[in-house]
Amino acid sequence: MKKPAILLSSKDFAGEAKLVASSKKVPGLRIVPETIPLDCTVMEEIESGVSAAMDDIIAALTQPLTDEEELPQAAEVEKLPHIVFKGYLDEVNQFFYKRGWTDGLPIIPPTDEAVSQMLMGTDLPADHIVGKILPRLGKATVEKIAINAVMAGALPTYMPLLIAAVQAITDRRACFGSWGISTGSFSPFWIINGPVYKDLNINNGSGALSPGNIANSAIGRAMGLIILNIGGTRKGIEDLGTFGNPAKNSMVIAENEEANPWEPLHVEQGYSKEDSTVTLCFPNCISQVKPYGSDDKGILNAAISNIIPGRAGPFCILLSPSNARILSEKGWTKEKIAAFISKHAIIPANHHPSYYGAATRIKDQQTSSPNDSKQILSNLNWIRSIVFGGSGNLVGLVAAQHNEGGDWVTKKIELPKNWDNLVTRYKGIVPKYILY
Amino acid sequence: MSEQYEVLNPWAEVDPIPLRGISPRVTDLNNKTIGLFVNRKVAAAPTQMVVEERLKERFPTLKFSSFVFGRDEEIVLTNDRARFEEWVKGVDTVIAAVGD
Repeated sequence: MKKPAILLSSKDFAGEAKLVASSKKVPGLRIVPETIPLDCTVMEEIESGVSAAMDDIIAALTQPLTDEEELPQAAEVEKLPHIVFKGYLDEVNQFFYKRGWTDGLPIIPPTDEAVSQMLMGTDLPADHIVGKILPRLGKATVEKIAINAVMAGALPTYMPLLIAAVQAITDRRACFGSWGISTGSFSPFWIINGPVYKDLNINNGSGALSPGNIANSAIGRAMGLIILNIGGTRKGIEDLGTFGNPAKNSMVIAENEEANPWEPLHVEQGYSKEDSTVTLCFPNCISQVKPYGSDDKGILNAAISNIIPGRAGPFCILLSPSNARILSEKGWTKEKIAAFISKHAIIPANHHPSYYGAATRIKDQQTSSPNDSKQILSNLNWIRSIVFGGSGNLVGLVAAQHNEGGDWVTKKIELPKNWDNLVTRYKGIVPKYILY
Repeated sequence: MSEQYEVLNPWAEVDPIPLRGISPRVTDLNNKTIGLFVNRKVAAAPTQMVVEERLKERFPTLKFSSFVFGRDEEIVLTNDRARFEEWVKGVDTVIAAVGD
Protein backbone atom coordinates (compact mmCIF):
# COMPACT_ATOMS: atom_id res chain seq x y z
CA MET A 1 0.00 0.00 0.00
CA LYS A 2 1.75 3.12 -1.19
CA LYS A 3 0.31 6.59 -1.12
CA PRO A 4 2.05 9.84 -1.96
CA ALA A 5 2.87 11.81 1.14
CA ILE A 6 4.54 15.02 2.17
CA LEU A 7 5.77 16.26 5.52
CA LEU A 8 5.20 19.73 6.92
CA SER A 9 8.12 20.57 9.15
CA SER A 10 9.46 23.64 10.85
CA LYS A 11 12.20 25.26 8.80
CA ASP A 12 14.39 24.83 11.89
CA PHE A 13 14.04 21.05 11.73
CA ALA A 14 13.66 20.50 7.97
CA GLY A 15 17.30 19.46 7.67
CA GLU A 16 16.94 17.02 10.53
CA ALA A 17 13.74 15.65 8.99
CA LYS A 18 15.66 15.06 5.77
CA LEU A 19 18.32 13.12 7.71
CA VAL A 20 15.64 10.99 9.34
CA ALA A 21 14.02 10.31 5.98
CA SER A 22 17.40 9.24 4.62
CA SER A 23 18.02 7.01 7.62
CA LYS A 24 14.65 5.40 6.92
CA LYS A 25 15.84 4.88 3.34
CA VAL A 26 13.37 7.30 1.79
CA PRO A 27 15.71 10.19 1.00
CA GLY A 28 13.33 11.69 -1.53
CA LEU A 29 10.54 12.36 0.97
CA ARG A 30 9.16 15.76 0.11
CA ILE A 31 9.51 17.98 3.14
CA VAL A 32 7.82 21.36 3.06
CA PRO A 33 9.49 23.78 5.48
CA GLU A 34 7.13 26.14 7.25
CA THR A 35 7.77 29.14 9.44
CA ILE A 36 5.41 28.34 12.32
CA PRO A 37 7.24 28.75 15.65
CA LEU A 38 8.01 25.45 17.41
CA ASP A 39 5.11 24.12 19.51
CA CYS A 40 3.13 27.19 18.52
CA THR A 41 -0.17 27.87 20.24
CA VAL A 42 -0.86 31.24 18.59
CA MET A 43 -3.44 30.70 15.89
CA GLU A 44 -2.48 33.80 13.92
CA GLU A 45 1.11 32.57 13.59
CA ILE A 46 -0.06 29.13 12.51
CA GLU A 47 -2.37 30.68 9.92
CA SER A 48 0.41 32.90 8.64
CA GLY A 49 2.92 30.04 8.46
CA VAL A 50 0.54 27.71 6.63
CA SER A 51 -0.55 30.43 4.20
CA ALA A 52 3.06 31.16 3.32
CA ALA A 53 3.69 27.48 2.64
CA MET A 54 0.55 26.76 0.60
CA ASP A 55 2.16 27.00 -2.85
CA ASP A 56 4.95 24.68 -1.73
CA ILE A 57 2.43 22.25 -0.21
CA ILE A 58 0.44 22.05 -3.45
CA ALA A 59 3.59 21.70 -5.52
CA ALA A 60 4.90 18.91 -3.25
CA LEU A 61 1.59 17.10 -3.58
CA THR A 62 1.29 17.35 -7.36
CA GLN A 63 4.60 17.93 -9.14
CA PRO A 64 5.81 14.82 -10.98
CA LEU A 65 8.69 12.92 -9.47
CA THR A 66 12.22 13.57 -10.55
CA ASP A 67 14.39 10.63 -11.55
CA GLU A 68 16.25 10.87 -8.23
CA GLU A 69 13.02 10.85 -6.23
CA GLU A 70 11.79 7.81 -8.15
CA LEU A 71 15.01 5.84 -8.07
CA PRO A 72 17.31 7.33 -5.42
CA GLN A 73 20.98 6.51 -5.65
CA ALA A 74 22.78 5.57 -2.49
CA ALA A 75 25.44 8.00 -1.39
CA GLU A 76 28.87 6.51 -1.00
CA VAL A 77 29.37 5.39 2.59
CA GLU A 78 32.83 5.69 4.05
CA LYS A 79 34.25 2.26 4.83
CA LEU A 80 36.25 2.46 8.01
CA PRO A 81 38.96 -0.10 8.73
CA HIS A 82 38.88 -2.18 11.90
CA ILE A 83 41.99 -0.40 13.16
CA VAL A 84 40.91 3.11 12.48
CA PHE A 85 43.95 5.11 13.60
CA LYS A 86 47.46 4.82 14.97
CA GLY A 87 49.06 7.54 17.05
CA TYR A 88 50.12 8.87 20.42
CA LEU A 89 47.57 9.44 23.17
CA ASP A 90 46.94 13.08 22.31
CA GLU A 91 46.72 12.25 18.61
CA VAL A 92 44.22 9.48 19.24
CA ASN A 93 42.10 11.81 21.32
CA GLN A 94 42.21 14.58 18.74
CA PHE A 95 41.35 12.12 15.96
CA PHE A 96 38.35 10.76 17.86
CA TYR A 97 37.19 14.21 18.92
CA LYS A 98 37.39 15.55 15.38
CA ARG A 99 35.38 12.59 14.12
CA GLY A 100 32.68 13.43 16.63
CA TRP A 101 33.16 10.13 18.45
CA THR A 102 33.62 11.47 21.98
CA ASP A 103 31.62 13.32 24.61
CA GLY A 104 34.24 16.05 24.70
CA LEU A 105 36.39 14.48 27.38
CA PRO A 106 39.54 12.45 26.66
CA ILE A 107 38.97 8.77 26.01
CA ILE A 108 40.92 5.65 26.84
CA PRO A 109 42.35 4.38 23.53
CA PRO A 110 40.36 1.30 22.47
CA THR A 111 43.27 -0.88 21.49
CA ASP A 112 42.82 -4.48 20.49
CA GLU A 113 44.30 -5.52 23.83
CA ALA A 114 42.00 -3.30 25.89
CA VAL A 115 38.94 -4.40 23.93
CA SER A 116 39.92 -8.06 24.33
CA GLN A 117 40.08 -7.53 28.08
CA MET A 118 36.69 -5.85 28.02
CA LEU A 119 35.26 -8.80 26.12
CA MET A 120 36.20 -11.06 29.03
CA GLY A 121 33.15 -9.58 30.71
CA THR A 122 30.76 -11.59 28.56
CA ASP A 123 30.38 -15.07 27.16
CA LEU A 124 28.71 -13.72 24.05
CA PRO A 125 30.76 -13.74 20.84
CA ALA A 126 32.17 -10.41 19.71
CA ASP A 127 30.04 -10.34 16.58
CA HIS A 128 26.79 -11.07 18.40
CA ILE A 129 24.29 -8.30 17.70
CA VAL A 130 22.57 -7.23 20.92
CA GLY A 131 20.28 -4.84 19.09
CA LYS A 132 20.10 -2.03 16.57
CA ILE A 133 20.07 1.40 18.11
CA LEU A 134 17.99 4.24 16.74
CA PRO A 135 18.07 6.57 14.94
CA ARG A 136 20.79 5.13 12.70
CA LEU A 137 19.91 1.54 13.50
CA GLY A 138 23.59 0.92 14.11
CA LYS A 139 24.39 -2.67 14.93
CA ALA A 140 25.27 -2.93 18.61
CA THR A 141 27.62 -5.87 18.38
CA VAL A 142 29.26 -7.00 21.57
CA GLU A 143 32.56 -5.76 20.17
CA LYS A 144 31.25 -2.25 19.43
CA ILE A 145 29.80 -2.11 22.95
CA ALA A 146 33.21 -3.16 24.29
CA ILE A 147 35.09 -0.57 22.21
CA ASN A 148 32.89 2.25 23.51
CA ALA A 149 33.12 0.86 27.03
CA VAL A 150 36.91 1.00 26.87
CA MET A 151 36.74 4.58 25.63
CA ALA A 152 34.55 5.46 28.62
CA GLY A 153 36.98 3.99 31.13
CA ALA A 154 34.69 1.12 32.04
CA LEU A 155 35.92 -2.08 33.67
CA PRO A 156 35.31 -5.48 32.04
CA THR A 157 32.89 -6.35 34.83
CA TYR A 158 30.52 -3.66 33.51
CA MET A 159 30.02 -5.50 30.21
CA PRO A 160 27.04 -7.63 31.31
CA LEU A 161 25.30 -4.50 32.59
CA LEU A 162 26.07 -2.55 29.40
CA ILE A 163 24.69 -5.37 27.27
CA ALA A 164 21.47 -5.35 29.32
CA ALA A 165 21.35 -1.57 29.05
CA VAL A 166 21.58 -1.81 25.26
CA GLN A 167 18.71 -4.31 25.37
CA ALA A 168 16.73 -1.77 27.39
CA ILE A 169 17.41 1.13 25.07
CA THR A 170 16.44 -0.92 22.03
CA ASP A 171 13.20 -2.06 23.66
CA ARG A 172 10.54 -0.05 21.88
CA ARG A 173 8.67 0.53 25.16
CA ALA A 174 11.52 2.83 26.19
CA CYS A 175 10.78 5.10 23.20
CA PHE A 176 14.44 5.95 22.89
CA GLY A 177 13.87 6.99 19.29
CA SER A 178 11.79 9.89 20.60
CA TRP A 179 13.33 10.76 23.96
CA GLY A 180 16.93 10.35 22.88
CA ILE A 181 16.71 13.12 20.29
CA SER A 182 13.99 15.36 21.70
CA THR A 183 14.21 19.10 22.22
CA GLY A 184 13.23 18.17 25.80
CA SER A 185 16.77 16.87 26.47
CA PHE A 186 15.60 13.69 28.17
CA SER A 187 18.40 11.68 29.70
CA PRO A 188 18.58 7.96 30.40
CA PHE A 189 18.30 7.25 34.12
CA TRP A 190 19.82 3.84 34.88
CA ILE A 191 18.77 2.12 38.11
CA ILE A 192 20.61 -1.05 39.06
CA ASN A 193 19.11 -3.72 41.28
CA GLY A 194 20.17 -7.10 42.58
CA PRO A 195 23.42 -8.59 43.84
CA VAL A 196 25.52 -7.25 40.96
CA TYR A 197 25.62 -3.75 42.39
CA LYS A 198 27.97 -4.92 45.14
CA ASP A 199 30.23 -6.72 42.67
CA LEU A 200 30.52 -3.53 40.63
CA ASN A 201 30.77 -1.12 43.57
CA ILE A 202 27.88 0.95 42.25
CA ASN A 203 27.26 3.72 44.71
CA ASN A 204 23.79 3.65 46.25
CA GLY A 205 24.68 5.83 49.18
CA SER A 206 25.95 9.33 49.78
CA GLY A 207 26.06 11.43 46.63
CA ALA A 208 25.34 8.50 44.35
CA LEU A 209 24.31 10.82 41.55
CA SER A 210 27.48 12.91 41.83
CA PRO A 211 30.77 12.04 40.10
CA GLY A 212 33.48 10.15 41.99
CA ASN A 213 32.63 6.47 41.58
CA ILE A 214 34.03 4.71 38.55
CA ALA A 215 30.98 2.47 38.10
CA ASN A 216 28.35 5.22 38.36
CA SER A 217 30.40 7.49 36.11
CA ALA A 218 31.76 5.06 33.52
CA ILE A 219 28.57 3.05 33.01
CA GLY A 220 26.59 6.16 32.15
CA ARG A 221 29.43 7.53 30.06
CA ALA A 222 29.76 4.25 28.18
CA MET A 223 26.05 4.27 27.40
CA GLY A 224 26.37 7.86 26.21
CA LEU A 225 29.17 6.85 23.81
CA ILE A 226 27.17 3.81 22.68
CA ILE A 227 24.20 6.06 21.94
CA LEU A 228 26.54 8.39 20.06
CA ASN A 229 28.66 5.95 18.09
CA ILE A 230 26.33 2.99 17.62
CA GLY A 231 22.99 4.78 17.54
CA GLY A 232 24.38 7.79 15.71
CA THR A 233 22.75 10.38 17.98
CA ARG A 234 24.94 13.46 17.67
CA LYS A 235 24.33 16.70 19.50
CA GLY A 236 22.82 19.38 17.35
CA ILE A 237 22.34 17.00 14.44
CA GLU A 238 20.12 14.17 15.61
CA ASP A 239 19.91 15.14 19.29
CA LEU A 240 18.07 18.44 19.16
CA GLY A 241 17.85 19.08 22.90
CA THR A 242 17.13 22.77 23.33
CA PHE A 243 19.12 23.26 26.53
CA GLY A 244 20.82 19.89 26.81
CA ASN A 245 21.11 18.00 30.05
CA PRO A 246 24.15 17.38 32.29
CA ALA A 247 22.60 14.05 33.29
CA LYS A 248 23.51 12.80 29.82
CA ASN A 249 27.07 12.51 31.13
CA SER A 250 25.89 9.85 33.55
CA MET A 251 22.84 9.20 35.69
CA VAL A 252 23.42 5.81 37.28
CA ILE A 253 22.50 4.57 40.73
CA ALA A 254 21.84 1.32 42.52
CA GLU A 255 18.83 1.00 44.74
CA ASN A 256 19.72 0.47 48.38
CA GLU A 257 17.92 -2.81 48.86
CA GLU A 258 19.21 -3.36 52.39
CA ALA A 259 17.65 -0.11 53.54
CA ASN A 260 14.58 -0.54 51.38
CA PRO A 261 11.68 -1.65 53.57
CA TRP A 262 9.63 -2.61 50.53
CA GLU A 263 10.08 -4.71 47.43
CA PRO A 264 12.95 -3.39 45.33
CA LEU A 265 12.28 -1.88 41.94
CA HIS A 266 13.18 -4.96 39.91
CA VAL A 267 10.77 -7.12 41.89
CA GLU A 268 8.04 -4.56 41.15
CA GLN A 269 9.05 -4.94 37.52
CA GLY A 270 8.48 -8.70 37.62
CA TYR A 271 11.94 -10.08 38.37
CA SER A 272 13.05 -12.13 41.32
CA LYS A 273 15.00 -10.55 44.15
CA GLU A 274 18.05 -12.68 43.27
CA ASP A 275 18.15 -11.34 39.71
CA SER A 276 20.39 -8.46 38.82
CA THR A 277 18.74 -5.93 36.56
CA VAL A 278 19.03 -2.54 34.96
CA THR A 279 15.97 -0.31 34.72
CA LEU A 280 15.65 2.62 32.36
CA CYS A 281 13.46 5.69 32.13
CA PHE A 282 13.91 9.10 30.48
CA PRO A 283 13.49 12.07 32.82
CA ASN A 284 14.71 15.55 32.06
CA CYS A 285 14.80 17.11 35.50
CA ILE A 286 15.54 16.36 39.11
CA SER A 287 14.67 18.50 42.09
CA GLN A 288 15.58 17.99 45.73
CA VAL A 289 13.46 19.45 48.50
CA LYS A 290 13.42 19.42 52.27
CA PRO A 291 10.44 17.62 53.83
CA TYR A 292 7.74 19.87 55.30
CA GLY A 293 8.11 17.90 58.52
CA SER A 294 10.11 14.95 59.78
CA ASP A 295 7.15 12.57 59.78
CA ASP A 296 5.46 10.73 56.93
CA LYS A 297 3.08 13.61 56.25
CA GLY A 298 5.96 16.08 56.03
CA ILE A 299 7.80 13.88 53.52
CA LEU A 300 4.84 13.25 51.28
CA ASN A 301 3.45 16.76 51.50
CA ALA A 302 6.81 18.10 50.33
CA ALA A 303 6.69 15.67 47.44
CA ILE A 304 3.19 16.50 46.23
CA SER A 305 3.75 20.23 46.65
CA ASN A 306 6.93 20.34 44.56
CA ILE A 307 6.05 18.38 41.48
CA ILE A 308 6.17 20.84 38.62
CA PRO A 309 2.71 21.19 37.04
CA GLY A 310 3.82 20.60 33.48
CA ARG A 311 4.93 17.07 34.21
CA ALA A 312 3.61 13.68 33.24
CA GLY A 313 4.96 10.27 32.27
CA PRO A 314 7.47 8.13 34.20
CA PHE A 315 8.19 9.77 37.54
CA CYS A 316 10.07 8.72 40.64
CA ILE A 317 10.26 9.90 44.18
CA LEU A 318 13.77 9.39 45.54
CA LEU A 319 13.72 8.40 49.18
CA SER A 320 16.73 8.39 51.44
CA PRO A 321 16.94 5.33 53.71
CA SER A 322 15.76 7.39 56.69
CA ASN A 323 12.73 8.72 54.84
CA ALA A 324 11.89 5.25 53.57
CA ARG A 325 12.05 3.92 57.13
CA ILE A 326 9.78 6.68 58.44
CA LEU A 327 7.21 6.01 55.74
CA SER A 328 7.35 2.27 56.19
CA GLU A 329 6.92 2.49 59.94
CA LYS A 330 3.76 4.51 59.37
CA GLY A 331 2.37 1.80 57.12
CA TRP A 332 3.18 3.29 53.75
CA THR A 333 3.93 0.92 50.88
CA LYS A 334 5.24 1.82 47.45
CA GLU A 335 1.72 1.31 46.09
CA LYS A 336 0.21 3.58 48.71
CA ILE A 337 2.85 6.24 48.08
CA ALA A 338 2.13 6.17 44.35
CA ALA A 339 -1.60 6.39 44.97
CA PHE A 340 -1.14 9.29 47.39
CA ILE A 341 1.06 11.22 44.96
CA SER A 342 -1.28 10.63 42.06
CA LYS A 343 -4.32 11.66 44.06
CA HIS A 344 -2.90 14.64 45.94
CA ALA A 345 -0.40 16.17 43.53
CA ILE A 346 -3.12 18.40 42.17
CA ILE A 347 -3.14 21.90 40.87
CA PRO A 348 -5.76 24.36 39.69
CA ALA A 349 -6.80 23.55 36.16
CA ASN A 350 -5.37 26.80 34.87
CA HIS A 351 -1.89 25.78 36.14
CA HIS A 352 -1.94 22.62 34.03
CA PRO A 353 -0.66 22.65 30.45
CA SER A 354 -3.75 20.89 29.18
CA TYR A 355 -5.84 23.92 30.17
CA TYR A 356 -4.07 25.76 27.37
CA GLY A 357 -4.08 22.83 25.00
CA ALA A 358 -0.39 22.13 25.43
CA ALA A 359 -0.72 18.53 26.51
CA THR A 360 -3.80 17.57 24.59
CA ARG A 361 -5.35 18.88 21.48
CA ILE A 362 -8.53 19.76 23.33
CA LYS A 363 -8.14 22.70 25.60
CA ASP A 364 -9.45 21.94 29.07
CA GLN A 365 -10.68 25.50 29.38
CA GLN A 366 -13.54 24.43 27.15
CA THR A 367 -14.61 21.97 29.84
CA SER A 368 -12.97 23.20 33.06
CA SER A 369 -13.16 26.27 35.20
CA PRO A 370 -9.79 27.75 36.21
CA ASN A 371 -9.99 26.53 39.81
CA ASP A 372 -11.03 22.96 39.14
CA SER A 373 -8.52 20.45 40.54
CA LYS A 374 -6.31 18.68 38.07
CA GLN A 375 -3.99 15.72 38.74
CA ILE A 376 -0.39 16.15 37.56
CA LEU A 377 0.36 12.42 37.45
CA SER A 378 -2.90 10.78 36.50
CA ASN A 379 -1.45 7.35 35.79
CA LEU A 380 -0.43 5.31 38.85
CA ASN A 381 1.84 3.15 36.74
CA TRP A 382 4.09 6.09 35.99
CA ILE A 383 5.16 6.45 39.63
CA ARG A 384 8.00 4.58 41.35
CA SER A 385 9.66 5.01 44.75
CA ILE A 386 13.43 4.49 44.68
CA VAL A 387 15.41 4.11 47.89
CA PHE A 388 19.03 5.22 47.83
CA GLY A 389 21.25 8.05 48.99
CA GLY A 390 23.09 8.88 52.16
CA SER A 391 22.14 10.38 55.47
CA GLY A 392 19.74 13.25 55.22
CA ASN A 393 16.08 13.71 54.76
CA LEU A 394 15.84 15.35 51.36
CA VAL A 395 13.18 14.18 48.97
CA GLY A 396 14.15 13.78 45.32
CA LEU A 397 11.69 14.21 42.49
CA VAL A 398 12.72 12.91 39.08
CA ALA A 399 10.29 13.75 36.34
CA ALA A 400 9.80 13.62 32.65
CA GLN A 401 7.63 15.99 30.71
CA HIS A 402 5.65 14.05 28.23
CA ASN A 403 2.21 12.58 28.25
CA GLU A 404 2.24 9.34 26.40
CA GLY A 405 4.86 6.99 25.07
CA GLY A 406 7.72 5.67 27.13
CA ASP A 407 7.53 3.26 29.99
CA TRP A 408 9.75 1.83 32.70
CA VAL A 409 11.88 -0.86 31.05
CA THR A 410 13.85 -3.43 33.05
CA LYS A 411 16.30 -6.01 31.70
CA LYS A 412 18.05 -8.86 33.45
CA ILE A 413 21.85 -8.73 33.62
CA GLU A 414 23.28 -12.07 32.48
CA LEU A 415 26.64 -12.81 34.06
CA PRO A 416 29.43 -14.78 32.33
CA LYS A 417 30.75 -18.10 33.65
CA ASN A 418 33.98 -16.53 34.88
CA TRP A 419 32.12 -13.90 36.87
CA ASP A 420 33.59 -14.68 40.26
CA ASN A 421 37.15 -14.50 38.90
CA LEU A 422 36.43 -11.19 37.19
CA VAL A 423 34.92 -9.74 40.32
CA THR A 424 37.92 -10.85 42.34
CA ARG A 425 40.18 -9.11 39.85
CA TYR A 426 38.35 -5.79 39.64
CA LYS A 427 36.34 -5.36 42.81
CA GLY A 428 39.26 -3.93 44.72
CA ILE A 429 39.38 -0.87 42.49
CA VAL A 430 37.89 1.64 44.91
CA PRO A 431 39.06 5.05 46.07
CA LYS A 432 40.77 5.13 49.43
CA TYR A 433 40.59 8.69 50.65
CA ILE A 434 43.40 10.01 52.82
CA LEU A 435 42.23 11.92 55.85
CA TYR A 436 43.55 15.47 56.11
CA MET B 1 53.33 9.93 25.61
CA SER B 2 55.98 7.76 24.07
CA GLU B 3 53.64 4.90 23.21
CA GLN B 4 51.62 4.76 20.04
CA TYR B 5 48.20 3.16 20.07
CA GLU B 6 46.46 1.29 17.30
CA VAL B 7 42.80 1.93 18.04
CA LEU B 8 39.65 0.17 16.92
CA ASN B 9 36.72 1.80 15.19
CA PRO B 10 33.84 2.66 17.59
CA TRP B 11 31.38 3.64 14.85
CA ALA B 12 28.78 0.95 14.22
CA GLU B 13 27.98 -0.65 10.94
CA VAL B 14 24.46 -0.62 9.58
CA ASP B 15 22.71 -3.19 7.48
CA PRO B 16 22.51 -2.15 3.86
CA ILE B 17 18.86 -1.40 3.23
CA PRO B 18 17.90 -0.51 -0.32
CA LEU B 19 16.72 3.04 -0.82
CA ARG B 20 13.08 3.49 -1.73
CA GLY B 21 11.66 5.97 -4.17
CA ILE B 22 8.66 8.00 -3.18
CA SER B 23 5.21 7.30 -4.57
CA PRO B 24 3.96 9.01 -7.73
CA ARG B 25 2.05 12.20 -7.06
CA VAL B 26 -1.56 12.86 -7.83
CA THR B 27 -1.74 14.94 -10.98
CA ASP B 28 -4.68 17.04 -9.88
CA LEU B 29 -6.12 17.73 -6.45
CA ASN B 30 -9.71 18.19 -7.57
CA ASN B 31 -12.11 15.60 -6.11
CA LYS B 32 -9.31 13.93 -4.21
CA THR B 33 -9.32 12.89 -0.56
CA ILE B 34 -6.44 14.34 1.43
CA GLY B 35 -5.30 12.46 4.49
CA LEU B 36 -4.21 14.78 7.29
CA PHE B 37 -1.89 12.98 9.72
CA VAL B 38 -1.72 14.69 13.11
CA ASN B 39 0.93 13.75 15.66
CA ARG B 40 0.89 14.57 19.38
CA LYS B 41 2.62 17.94 19.18
CA VAL B 42 0.50 20.86 20.19
CA ALA B 43 0.74 22.70 16.89
CA ALA B 44 0.00 19.71 14.68
CA ALA B 45 -3.80 19.74 14.88
CA PRO B 46 -4.33 23.48 14.39
CA THR B 47 -1.79 23.43 11.56
CA GLN B 48 -3.76 20.74 9.78
CA MET B 49 -6.97 22.61 10.45
CA VAL B 50 -5.57 25.64 8.64
CA VAL B 51 -4.11 23.49 5.86
CA GLU B 52 -7.60 22.07 5.30
CA GLU B 53 -9.16 25.54 5.23
CA ARG B 54 -6.60 26.92 2.80
CA LEU B 55 -6.78 23.93 0.47
CA LYS B 56 -10.58 24.08 0.45
CA GLU B 57 -10.39 27.70 -0.62
CA ARG B 58 -8.37 26.70 -3.68
CA PHE B 59 -9.93 23.29 -4.36
CA PRO B 60 -13.56 23.30 -3.20
CA THR B 61 -14.13 19.68 -4.29
CA LEU B 62 -11.40 18.33 -2.01
CA LYS B 63 -12.37 15.96 0.77
CA PHE B 64 -10.38 15.42 3.94
CA SER B 65 -9.80 12.63 6.42
CA SER B 66 -7.79 13.09 9.60
CA PHE B 67 -5.77 10.56 11.57
CA VAL B 68 -4.61 11.51 15.04
CA PHE B 69 -1.74 9.61 16.64
CA GLY B 70 -0.85 10.84 20.10
CA ARG B 71 2.16 8.75 20.99
CA ASP B 72 5.89 9.25 20.43
CA GLU B 73 6.39 5.96 18.67
CA GLU B 74 6.57 4.71 15.14
CA ILE B 75 2.97 3.94 14.38
CA VAL B 76 3.77 0.79 12.42
CA LEU B 77 5.26 -0.67 15.61
CA THR B 78 2.12 -0.07 17.64
CA ASN B 79 -1.32 -1.59 17.95
CA ASP B 80 -2.61 1.31 15.87
CA ARG B 81 -0.94 -0.03 12.74
CA ALA B 82 -4.05 -1.78 11.37
CA ARG B 83 -6.22 1.27 12.00
CA PHE B 84 -3.61 3.45 10.31
CA GLU B 85 -3.30 1.22 7.27
CA GLU B 86 -7.06 1.10 6.89
CA TRP B 87 -7.15 4.89 7.02
CA VAL B 88 -4.41 5.20 4.39
CA LYS B 89 -6.43 3.02 2.01
CA GLY B 90 -9.20 5.59 2.05
CA VAL B 91 -7.14 8.62 1.02
CA ASP B 92 -5.41 9.66 -2.21
CA THR B 93 -2.48 11.51 -0.73
CA VAL B 94 -1.21 12.35 2.76
CA ILE B 95 0.01 15.50 4.46
CA ALA B 96 1.78 14.81 7.73
CA ALA B 97 2.26 17.62 10.21
CA VAL B 98 4.51 17.10 13.20
CA GLY B 99 3.87 20.45 14.82
CA ASP B 100 7.52 21.42 14.95
